Amino acid sequence: MKPKLSFEWLHACSGCEIALLNYGEPLLALLNRVEIVHFPLLMDHKYTRPEREDLPLSLPEADIGLVSGGVAHQEHLTVLHEMRRQCRTLIALGTCATHGGIPAMRNQWSTADTLQTVLAAGDTEPGPMLDEPSLFLDRVYSVDEKVPVEVSLPGCPPQPELIAAIIEALLNKDTVPPANKSVCETCPTLRKGKGQTTIRRFLDNADYDRDQPVSRMRCLLEQGLLCMGPVTAGGCGGKDTPLCLRARVPCRGCYGPVRPGGNQLLDMKNALASNGIDHRSIVDRKSLLRFSGAHGLIQPAGKRR
Amino acid sequence: MSEDTMIGAVMVIGGGISGMQAALDIADSGFFVYLVEKTGAIGGAMPQYNKVFPTNDCSMCIIAPKLVECGRHANISIMTLSEVIDISGRAGDFHVRVSEQPRYVDINKCIACGQCSAQCPKSVDDSFNSYIAKRKAIFIKYPQAVPLKYQIDPAACLRLKDPDSCGICADICPPGAIDFDHQPQKHEIQVGAVVMALGFQTFDPGKAKVWGYGVYPNVITSLQFERYLAPNGPTDGVLARPSDGKPVKKIAFLQCIGSRDKNHCNNEYCSAVCCMYAIKEAVMVKEANPELDVSIFYIDMRTPGKEFDRYYERARSEYGVKFIRSRIHGVEPKGGKGDLRLHYSSVQGKQVEEIVDLVVLSVGLETPDSMVKLAEKIGIHMTPDRFASISAFMPVHTSKKGIFTCGAFNGPRDIPQSVIGGSAAAASAVALLTSVRNTRTRPIAPPAERDVRLQSPKIGVFICHCGTNIAGVIDVSEVAAFAATLPQVVHVERNLFTCAQDTQDLMIQQIKNLGLNRIVVAACTPRTHEPLFRKTLKSAGINEYLFEMANIRNQNAWVHSQDPEAATRKAKDLIRMAVVKVTSLTALKPLRIPITPSALIIGGGVTGMTAALNLAKQGYQIHLLEKTSQLGGNALHLFQTWNGEHVPRYLMGLQEEVNNTPNIEISYNTTVTAVTGHVGDFTTTIRSGTSRKRTIQHGVAIITTGAKRYIPEEYEYGKIPKVVASIEFDKLHMHNETRVANGKSFVFIQCVGSRNQERPYCSKSCCTHSIQSAIKLKKEVPSRQIYILYREIRTYGQRERIYSQARELGIIFINYELHGPPKISREDTGVLVEVWDHVLHRPLEIKADMVILASATLASPEAVELANLFKLPLNADGFFQEAHAKLRPVEFNVDGVFVAGLAHYPKPLEESISQALAAAAKAGRLLARKEIALEPNTALVDPVLCDGCGLCIDTCPYRAISLVEYLDEAGTPLKTVAIDQVLCKGCGICQGTCPKRGVTIAGFTYDQIEAQIDAALMDALPTEVTP
Amino acid sequence: MSPEPKIIAFCCNWCSYAAADLAGILRLQYPGSIRIIRVMCSGMVHPEMVLHALDKGADGVMIIGCHPGECHYLTGNEMALARAEVIADTLEDLGYASERFQLTWVSSAEPERLVEAFRTMSGRLMLLRSEQQTSYAKKN
Repeated sequence: MKPKLSFEWLHACSGCEIALLNYGEPLLALLNRVEIVHFPLLMDHKYTRPEREDLPLSLPEADIGLVSGGVAHQEHLTVLHEMRRQCRTLIALGTCATHGGIPAMRNQWSTADTLQTVLAAGDTEPGPMLDEPSLFLDRVYSVDEKVPVEVSLPGCPPQPELIAAIIEALLNKDTVPPANKSVCETCPTLRKGKGQTTIRRFLDNADYDRDQPVSRMRCLLEQGLLCMGPVTAGGCGGKDTPLCLRARVPCRGCYGPVRPGGNQLLDMKNALASNGIDHRSIVDRKSLLRFSGAHGLIQPAGKRR
Repeated sequence: MSEDTMIGAVMVIGGGISGMQAALDIADSGFFVYLVEKTGAIGGAMPQYNKVFPTNDCSMCIIAPKLVECGRHANISIMTLSEVIDISGRAGDFHVRVSEQPRYVDINKCIACGQCSAQCPKSVDDSFNSYIAKRKAIFIKYPQAVPLKYQIDPAACLRLKDPDSCGICADICPPGAIDFDHQPQKHEIQVGAVVMALGFQTFDPGKAKVWGYGVYPNVITSLQFERYLAPNGPTDGVLARPSDGKPVKKIAFLQCIGSRDKNHCNNEYCSAVCCMYAIKEAVMVKEANPELDVSIFYIDMRTPGKEFDRYYERARSEYGVKFIRSRIHGVEPKGGKGDLRLHYSSVQGKQVEEIVDLVVLSVGLETPDSMVKLAEKIGIHMTPDRFASISAFMPVHTSKKGIFTCGAFNGPRDIPQSVIGGSAAAASAVALLTSVRNTRTRPIAPPAERDVRLQSPKIGVFICHCGTNIAGVIDVSEVAAFAATLPQVVHVERNLFTCAQDTQDLMIQQIKNLGLNRIVVAACTPRTHEPLFRKTLKSAGINEYLFEMANIRNQNAWVHSQDPEAATRKAKDLIRMAVVKVTSLTALKPLRIPITPSALIIGGGVTGMTAALNLAKQGYQIHLLEKTSQLGGNALHLFQTWNGEHVPRYLMGLQEEVNNTPNIEISYNTTVTAVTGHVGDFTTTIRSGTSRKRTIQHGVAIITTGAKRYIPEEYEYGKIPKVVASIEFDKLHMHNETRVANGKSFVFIQCVGSRNQERPYCSKSCCTHSIQSAIKLKKEVPSRQIYILYREIRTYGQRERIYSQARELGIIFINYELHGPPKISREDTGVLVEVWDHVLHRPLEIKADMVILASATLASPEAVELANLFKLPLNADGFFQEAHAKLRPVEFNVDGVFVAGLAHYPKPLEESISQALAAAAKAGRLLARKEIALEPNTALVDPVLCDGCGLCIDTCPYRAISLVEYLDEAGTPLKTVAIDQVLCKGCGICQGTCPKRGVTIAGFTYDQIEAQIDAALMDALPTEVTP
Repeated sequence: MSPEPKIIAFCCNWCSYAAADLAGILRLQYPGSIRIIRVMCSGMVHPEMVLHALDKGADGVMIIGCHPGECHYLTGNEMALARAEVIADTLEDLGYASERFQLTWVSSAEPERLVEAFRTMSGRLMLLRSEQQTSYAKKN
């Protein structure tokens, strides 16, 4: 009997699921090795079993469970708990699941404020109010804040090879590949030492010669661009040049912090300040947590304990 | 004598601070040392003091590490209760006869438990406490004594007088150490050189009745006062009137008791230390009791040392100590209640009566008769003031070759001068015996280190009572019980003094017996005592870095003495913090690098040349840099020393010797342009004249850049040709220029440019210099009128003699104050000097043929650049700031760099030479080690976490970090950083910068700091605000 | 609730730690709830250590370094100063009052200044606590 695989999405965009499907030809071989029991993106599946109406919902048992997306609503939480109950190994997949991701940026407002802004802003046609706004959680959580997970793989989306490697490792009962170091580790740009002391807007282009490879381009941070590479987990480019750098734009930080519990905003600003760079020249500092606002790192302003 | 018959051992006589310093410097330079001490424990006078000036350090606390270092040094043999009877032989091969008095306690058995003393029925006056307290017939000199072994005072012991009586101590002594049958012993010891650090005794004011000492109980000596103030003294630091125990309200210090006095004693000299110690004692007592009325009665305030005048000024302006210029000739009782009456004439000439309730006699220093006799027996010349007769040019050499001398035996002096003297004597002995270095020493090889990496932590916690310093506030038994409950702690012990030698020995035993592999000491501060305990760990065969201190004295018991409960709580937290930290510490190995066996000496004056010659004799290569085209420095302008020795002749000899020493390479017209490296391996770039730069490799550096003289802007200098500076006058005088030859009236003005608002320090040598010139002028033509206008005459020490001589010759001394300086104007062919006469109370007009200005000594302007290059501190006056004013007077906190001479502070030639030798001793002691161990608390890169983002690289102030590329097993190019362990100083700026904890300082890792935080907050309440 | 605010004070080995020793020699008194952690340099303290202390229940955190220009390691205190703003921002972002952190300069010869800094910080945290209690009481 093939190992069973279950892939659930919570507060997500389906990018992680598509990333797995984007694995290309090797995907077929991988799919052959598992039996997919639950994968809402690919197949229709009922969340309740008629014989167990006493349960709010039920999902099938699985050996490997993947969860993408953060936890923002009571429904996410119910589904997540059921996934946890049914899956022997649970993988938090993608930065939303591991660090809250883009949706967690709403953590800078209260849920009520968010709903008001999104659904009932005064200058637009008011939308329908939710029947039960109370089912929204107070903020967006990462998966690991709510249930224990065996493996975390960040990325927005994670590189297909990385997803496959983890599934392969679990199937082969190998040790899961270790987490990556920062984006800088495989970044080939040129290092010349301390550069600009202020941070340029993201809209500015880097200086480079388009006919030369990336390895001839000066480090973007040294060029004064806010490259999140040093504080962002690597892996987006495999062992090769990180993806954004290939496009000659600074890393946006989408893999979240390098270290579990790390704070990209604090680590980045601290490192900049230590290098004599004016950290106050960063526009909208909280945007440095755009991918990792869960774990309480983004909070509504004004609370002072 | 032929060099191969020399003996590679040295005897140091006297275990005070000077002798201890000499012993340590000599022993560490590769010679065996016999340290002979006449009492039962080394330490000398320092342990009796409460604090020391001008740093206000606790005296015992700064000397304790040196005591222990002497006590445990493999190449120092301490001989207590011993006196030298005779020395025969000659330099290189002396025969010393030593007699040792019985201790009656077996030093190998005594565990210093103190039960004997507690039970001993006989009490006598305690000399250590200056007779204001009692001690038992069986006693230790003081609680931190080295060796910490009891001794029986045969004059007091009942049993020794009568074999049938008492003997309690022998009955109860747990190890059975008491032996009433001990007999005096004689030792014959062969050594190559002898250092006499015989020390001093304080003048006994009871000899003269005038001060009422011994008659009125409220007249005490300054040493007794010191013991009253000491927290470990008989009154626990509480001052009360000895007569009735009532609080003291008004204190008078009387200066020059037993000094500058031919009437009541024969001590004509100035004791040089009493002004400063009186100010210190006054400040200490005012600090504790600001409402007290404290006056110091003095003739001249002699505070010529570094930072002394500032201390004096602070005492006056900040602490409100009163200074009254008047010598008090008698103390009388007032009423029958212990009050005392002083009678004096004020500066204004009025008769004043003061009633005080405590008189402190600032007693002077003198050489004990027994020492004078010993010196006579050995054949050492003494001065009329009964100090060792020494030449200013050879300030630690006695009249007998191979016998050196230091400390107060060379003339009254303070602690730094004694420490410098000890080192200087060491340098001289070492230079003499260089050919037999390491022939008598035992190798100092610590036992093999136990590998504890695979062992689970077994922590021993040693909690120090520090007498009552800690235990008087903190509930130590509760804390000890708590410590025993902490994870991994297998042994907890309380000690009266954990730093005492016997506790150290015990700690070694416990580490071995119980298999302890990590140690926590809860005591004072790691800043002073960590090195000591680390050595203990090393001796016990475990890595010295598996150690942590909990600072429960300085940062707990002392600062929470009014809240013992909080202090006890805090002590527990501090110990818990230390325990979690020590649990995660790892063994560290210092990086050992070879030492380049050469010295760079910057400055070719007498100081530089002296240091160069000594180190050259010690066998090292010397690079001597001189910024001008000539050796000699400021001494080129000097003609004689204070005792009349001829400087130019000496200087010529010195230059010649330096020039003819093959391992001294001299570079003229040379300056330093860059310095890199560190102790043992400096690379210095120099530029000579207009030629190209070149680099020099050297292991140590000595800064002897001297000073410059002040060009007066006052007193019409440069406008009236008959107003000259003293150095110019010396030249005119030597050539008997007409202005001098025909002059009939000469006026010297002192403190020109010194001791003012801009330069609040004393230039130290000008008083002596002016008086010498005046005497010479007067002797040439006795009819000449000579005036010295002064603020305070500071002919400290034996220089006082020339001051007396000048007055006897009829030279007129007129005092002026800073706010009323003399006025100078042109008159006919001469100069008119107007000054207010304080004795006659009217302005005085002097028609002078010449006016001589005693101009200040200024810090060399080049010091700033050199300080930057070597990263050394300068004081507010621009002189180099030594590591510690008292005990490290020629060193810096930067290892391997030393200072001597005027670069350090203005001083006379003999003190510069002494300091030069001391610097050479320190430099030689380092070079003798051949290799140096660098502090291993440096940055370590965690290969699992570092990814070469490189954000740390530019933050490193020492440029010790570089980016490294490497290939992983798959051949992918990856990055990390590498730390140059030699350049890294362990500041941890990289650690504070790294976004992913990829680099940490050994001993201060993120995990260790977090563990300490957690331990500190374990009992903290959650922060959420709850109603 | 403990009466005195619990403070973690990171003291530089070369200045404030020495001043704290000197405070003892002079018997200066300060609140007994302050815990000194010895570091080699104020520039060694990563802001995360400050956060960690607050997260673990400290009422306040101090970093005490050498006066500007007097750093034993040349620039460590400049680093600490540059990071102080970052720490304050981060505390506010995370919902901590930034008054709970303080960077101070004290030389090894300024025990009085150190003790004054301790007392001031302790007083400030007491005040903060009482303000917050009041606002909490109002809300409920």
